[in-house]
Amino acid sequence: MKAIDIIHAEHRALGAVLQAFRFVLDGIRDGRFEPDFQLLAAMIEYITQVPDKLHHPKEDDYLFVRMRARIPAAAGLLDQLEADHAEGARRTAALRGALVHYQGMGASGFAGFDAIAGTYLDASWKHVTKEETELLPLARQSLTPEDWAGIDAAFEANKDPWSGPTGEFRALFSRIVNMVPAPYGVGDAGVPGA
Amino acid sequence: MSELLRLENVFAGYGEAVVLEGISFSMEEGDSLALLGRNGMGKTTLLSTLMGAARHHSGALHFSGQDLAVVPAHGRAHLGLGWVPQERDIFPSLTVEENLTVVSRPGHWNLQRVYEMFPRLNERRANMGNQLSGGEQQMLAMGRALMLNPKLLLLDEPLEGLAPLIVQELLAIIQQLTEESGMAVILVEQHARQILPLTRQALVLERGRAVYLGESATLRDDRELLDSWLACGTTPAAH
Ligand SMILES: Nc1ncnc2c1ncn2[C@@H]1O[C@H](COP(=O)(O)OP(=O)(O)O)[C@@H](O)[C@H]1O
Ligand SMILES: [Fe+2]
Ligand SMILES: [Fe+2]
Ligand SMILES: [Mg+2]
Repeated sequence: MKAIDIIHAEHRALGAVLQAFRFVLDGIRDGRFEPDFQLLAAMIEYITQVPDKLHHPKEDDYLFVRMRARIPAAAGLLDQLEADHAEGARRTAALRGALVHYQGMGASGFAGFDAIAGTYLDASWKHVTKEETELLPLARQSLTPEDWAGIDAAFEANKDPWSGPTGEFRALFSRIVNMVPAPYGVGDAGVPGA
Repeated sequence: MSELLRLENVFAGYGEAVVLEGISFSMEEGDSLALLGRNGMGKTTLLSTLMGAARHHSGALHFSGQDLAVVPAHGRAHLGLGWVPQERDIFPSLTVEENLTVVSRPGHWNLQRVYEMFPRLNERRANMGNQLSGGEQQMLAMGRALMLNPKLLLLDEPLEGLAPLIVQELLAIIQQLTEESGMAVILVEQHARQILPLTRQALVLERGRAVYLGESATLRDDRELLDSWLACGTTPAAH
């Protein structure tokens, strides 16, 4: 069941950035942090690119395909999750647009950005939670060893949850950790006086 | 690859008290081992025995071709054992850079390479040890151990108490260390699922005895074993 471990691991890496993003948004809203647009852009890059380019395509093309074939009762759940994936590109564009708008407007643009970012975060959490609590337990229960062999092979190409197949996301992840203020990260982006 | 560490039927503990009973395993140069088990099972005691901080009662302890049992505790770092203790033990009144350079041995790891791996330490190099956040302290503790250019790095629950984002970064760094360098690593963790993919071998302790010694991949794929010894077969997402 290698693929399942990889999906869990990717959810953890993504979840960690989603959580840090919420922490930074809360801090700006409460006036504890100044907006740091490099950090916001880096976090948005990670939480949109990793799912859209790396994670969701693997789920769609391998796991979901096998589950559809093997578990007719999963059709409704798979429809919902696939619809979430398909929405990904549109939601990503909205979030990026909101950041550009905020950067242009200054402080008065925060509320709009905050609302769109909040919606994005909620949708991402909801999606991951559905997969963790409904999809993966069902897959574990119902797929056969032959099903898994095919799925595992496809997921294996991606060696760890932080990097992507060619390491393109490793430096980005590291940059985020080194910018996010404590206790969520080890940086001080947006901390007044830092 | 030649043998770096070998324990044969090791008994160890504190004073007369025996904590570890009959531990045997070996590691090659550049090898990696996940040391697992619930709280109080003897993981830290095993590392302390290697470092000479717990009492070795009997059994063979070989490191790098030497009988470790006759090497005093203060000589073990020099032999090539690098310890990152659970308490991190940063020197509070030294700067970050002084913490890194107060004891070092020549080799691949120098100040520049440590700062490349932990850029935050570079930014904080003039700050005192007691001004650091938990994540920064852990990075400093790891950087300080790397400055010794150890043949075997002992990491005792390096992820404990840290936010998920920092945990993920440290996991990525530990993976880099186990994969790319010739250094061997023993990694103690409660969260087995996160570190089994990073290590070649795993040793599970239960009340001071080894209940599993074998490939990490085998343990990772055996949910029943994981659940029975570690109660961590399933890992929910980080929220
Ligand atoms: N300094 C000490 N003196 C006496 N007993 C100790 C000492 N440190 C740990 N122990 C005991 O040894 C056992 C193993 O502890 P430890 O190695 O710290 O476990 P772990 O690291 O797996 O949580 C426990 O029963 C603990 O109470
Ligand atoms: Fe998904
Ligand atoms: Fe997913
Ligand atoms: Mg311990």
